[in-house]
Amino acid sequence: MIRVKNLHKSFGSNEVLKGIDFEVDNGEVIAVLGSSGSGKTTMLRCMSFLEKADQGEITFDEFHHDMVTISRRDIHKMRMHMGFVFQSFNLFANQTALENVTTGLTVARKIPKPQAQETAHEMLKKVGMEDRALYYPAQLSGGQQQRVAIARAIAANPRVVFFDEPTSALDPELTGEVLDVMKKLADEGTTMVIVTHEMQFARDVADKVVFMDGGSIIEQNGAKEFFESPQQERTLQFLRRSSKDYNYYI
Amino acid sequence: MSGKIADILISSFTKILLPGIRVTIPLTILAFILATVIALALALVQVAKVPVLSQIARIYIWIFRGTPLLVQLFIIFFGLPSLGVRLEAFPAAVIAFGMNLGAYNAETIRAAILGVPEGQFEAAALVGLTWWQTMIRVVLPQAFTIAFPPLFSSLIGLVKDTSLASAITVIELFTTAQQIAARTYQPFALYCEAGVIYLLFCTVLTWLQSWLEKKLVRRSPEND
Repeated sequence: MIRVKNLHKSFGSNEVLKGIDFEVDNGEVIAVLGSSGSGKTTMLRCMSFLEKADQGEITFDEFHHDMVTISRRDIHKMRMHMGFVFQSFNLFANQTALENVTTGLTVARKIPKPQAQETAHEMLKKVGMEDRALYYPAQLSGGQQQRVAIARAIAANPRVVFFDEPTSALDPELTGEVLDVMKKLADEGTTMVIVTHEMQFARDVADKVVFMDGGSIIEQNGAKEFFESPQQERTLQFLRRSSKDYNYYI
Repeated sequence: MSGKIADILISSFTKILLPGIRVTIPLTILAFILATVIALALALVQVAKVPVLSQIARIYIWIFRGTPLLVQLFIIFFGLPSLGVRLEAFPAAVIAFGMNLGAYNAETIRAAILGVPEGQFEAAALVGLTWWQTMIRVVLPQAFTIAFPPLFSSLIGLVKDTSLASAITVIELFTTAQQIAARTYQPFALYCEAGVIYLLFCTVLTWLQSWLEKKLVRRSPEND
């Protein structure tokens, strides 16, 4: 379980997060929606400490820390239980698909190489990339790279996986293969926080939807309720704009 | 007359080539190894923003890039003995060339590390790698590909710069040419011959560079 309290973040004079309270239960799939600049990616990056929060507290199972004063060592300990999938994949360019998956196991977690490779093959198989294990990232399509990146993120069996707009850098015809893999993970009970613009996917796969606007969470609800009976005018406006076929009304 | 010059050139060729192989090449290799170690250390403390050490690195680079190599050679060989540090000519030359080139290559390596996309650092941190593990496993291998051509150029430059070691009594390729020129009164022919031998060394290195680059390129994923 992860709980973030009163998370604030500014870039210069631009206040991007204005006191976010956010909670993820085990096994839950949360879609974070909102227009560009609403702060959804920044929230994810603060929770994984890629950005340093200006204020806030985080509770992650047995860990409890102030997000400003947390030490590098404690960040490292928490990250050992997090997976992160980037918009731009960020596969290690000097490593094969297989090595991308094993590095976190052998180097960071000291798992013996044969065992790590076995796990990595299993993960690559899960994302349908086992036949590309020895390819370098640049030899793979965007969708394939992102699937390897997902295999890398789940290899160490993390308690939560963050997805930062995982399909935004992909051609429309490649998003499907990535979303399919994510759906599979969700069905297996993986705890996931997904920042996305894929409305249909959020509706089909997420348990809960969090809607952000202007640095605050405006509305959160079960996925079905969120799409079928949005409570806020702003939410409705967003839903109408982002899905043409949206036809629910308050 | 020209027959005599030809005789001198032929008989002096091996005499100049031998110290080239025995002294110039080992001097180049040892100095380059030292330079690489220094450059890596200077670049890493700066990238990691280690307090004090990164400032020391800046000052080191400022001094060694801002003063002539010949002055550095003289200080290390002729100057240090008055402080009680007495070095043989050859190790003094290795140290001077290594320290000087280290300052230049530090900037090359630093730029190459900064040329590795930020996302690589972030992804490494999130799979649980420490800063060192990130450097060794992810960043330096990629930085090496970026830094390879300029570093190799600096190696080729070093081959020629080692001729300055003649000024501190190292008997290397150029010193030998100088001695023969003084003995035979044929400075034009002999210095040209020395130049040709340097050119020969550098040509071999240039071939080596393009061969190695091809291997690097084959390994690097961008070209498939």
